[in-house]
Amino acid sequence: MIVLEYILLVGVIVCAIAAPLCKRLLASVIVYMALSLMMAVLWSLLQSPDLAITEAAVGAGVTSILFFLTLKKIHALKGTRDE
Amino acid sequence: MSKKEEQPDRLRQFISWVDGDREPKDRTLFVMEQRPHRDFRPSEEEFERREKDRLRKFFNWYPIAAAVICVALGIILFTTVMNMPGFGQEDNPINNEVAERYLKRSEEETGSENVVTAMIIGYRGFDTLGESCVLFLAVSAVMILLLRDRKNTSEHELQQMEREETAAQGRSDLILKQVAWVLLPFIFLFAIYVLLNGETSPGGGFSGGTILGAGLILFSAAFGHGHMRVLMNQRRYSAVRTFGLLLYAVLYGVYIFIGANGLPNYLTGMILLIDLAVGLVVACTVYGFYALFSRGEI
Amino acid sequence: MLEEIIQNRYAVTAVILFGIGFTNLMLQQNLLRKVIGFNIMDSAVFLLLASLGYIDGGVAPIVGDRGFDPLYINPIPSGLVLTGIVVSVSITAFSLALIQRIYRRYGTIEMRELLERAKKEDD
Repeated sequence: MIVLEYILLVGVIVCAIAAPLCKRLLASVIVYMALSLMMAVLWSLLQSPDLAITEAAVGAGVTSILFFLTLKKIHALKGTRDE
Repeated sequence: MSKKEEQPDRLRQFISWVDGDREPKDRTLFVMEQRPHRDFRPSEEEFERREKDRLRKFFNWYPIAAAVICVALGIILFTTVMNMPGFGQEDNPINNEVAERYLKRSEEETGSENVVTAMIIGYRGFDTLGESCVLFLAVSAVMILLLRDRKNTSEHELQQMEREETAAQGRSDLILKQVAWVLLPFIFLFAIYVLLNGETSPGGGFSGGTILGAGLILFSAAFGHGHMRVLMNQRRYSAVRTFGLLLYAVLYGVYIFIGANGLPNYLTGMILLIDLAVGLVVACTVYGFYALFSRGEI
Repeated sequence: MLEEIIQNRYAVTAVILFGIGFTNLMLQQNLLRKVIGFNIMDSAVFLLLASLGYIDGGVAPIVGDRGFDPLYINPIPSGLVLTGIVVSVSITAFSLALIQRIYRRYGTIEMRELLERAKKEDD
């Protein structure tokens, strides 16, 4: 269990460093999504299942969808049909 | 007398100002602070050069100052964390008599086994009322920014939107549709389960509401908003949103009146009803964000 | 030193995340990346709060009739963070809506160009 904890903590930091450094905005958003999912697992490790459910639905679902829609509106999605 | 005649005129001016009229017709409503007149007026190129110089200087200095602030903040926070009480110990100052009391007596006082739900909805329900208002206002603010209607959309944009809509209906995504067909019942079932079982298991209004909203988003994305419009149009959406908030306020008022502050709790199902109201508000918020972001209307 | 870091691992992670998020908020030129940095800061604060309430060997605070009396974690930080997560979504949505409007008006979301264009329009 403690190994999983360390892996997740290091993974969260790596994701946080990587997310804004990605060249494409789409990649940034996807890495941020991964960070949110790791946070959800961390919360279930911290014995707060309420937070884990909410974070999994909000961080990985709703926030990312809002980011994607914004990317579409500002024409930052290369290689899609809107270009 | 004259005031009475003035009133509608002013009101009309104010309305036109709110609607985006930059300069009111014949009377200035708000006088901007005027700069003192300068005798020396630099030429156009000189002015532009100076402005560019200032902007460049700003961009040269800004990163350095920002980096210094970030490093200083990091050092301060790090030293603070090093002096914090150890992680996970039972006698930390945060584990005081408040938490003890919540853990011991929440079941008999609020009728909820899940202490987090009991705390959010029961003991600190007033806090949650304020938070529901924040969500309500957030949707309203996003609506102000992104809602398209006849006043702020040109004919060209409207036509383009219509074209996009017909194109989207033409290329329906088969994989998305089939997967949504399989997944949606389970998502809604899980959402309702989480929403209704906030008292006895992890979950409650916030978690269930977000899952419900996510399910609505998936439905809307997979089957097009033509189908969604049957279920929910602008008017119905506003009604549901307001109804959720009002229901919360009324129920919590009743709850305080009859149950809280040491009085015996007569209605054990109250937490469940308040949870439902919160779930309604949260689901409406989440779906409203998606609808406004994707097509500018509910 | 190392022992203390390992002892307080969640708080140290939270501080590092907060620093990364704050640096991004200050130094990134792209408005969307600024919002991502802001969200990382949010996560850091929530992580610190949630880790404060944890007790070693504790279980989730669902008081049922379990037949024995286990050690429960502190429910207060969980409740506070739960509301915080939902509010952070609405803040994100509002700032993204502002970004869309800025793009529609000025045609860019890069800070430098944005300032130049805004200044040009002011004159």
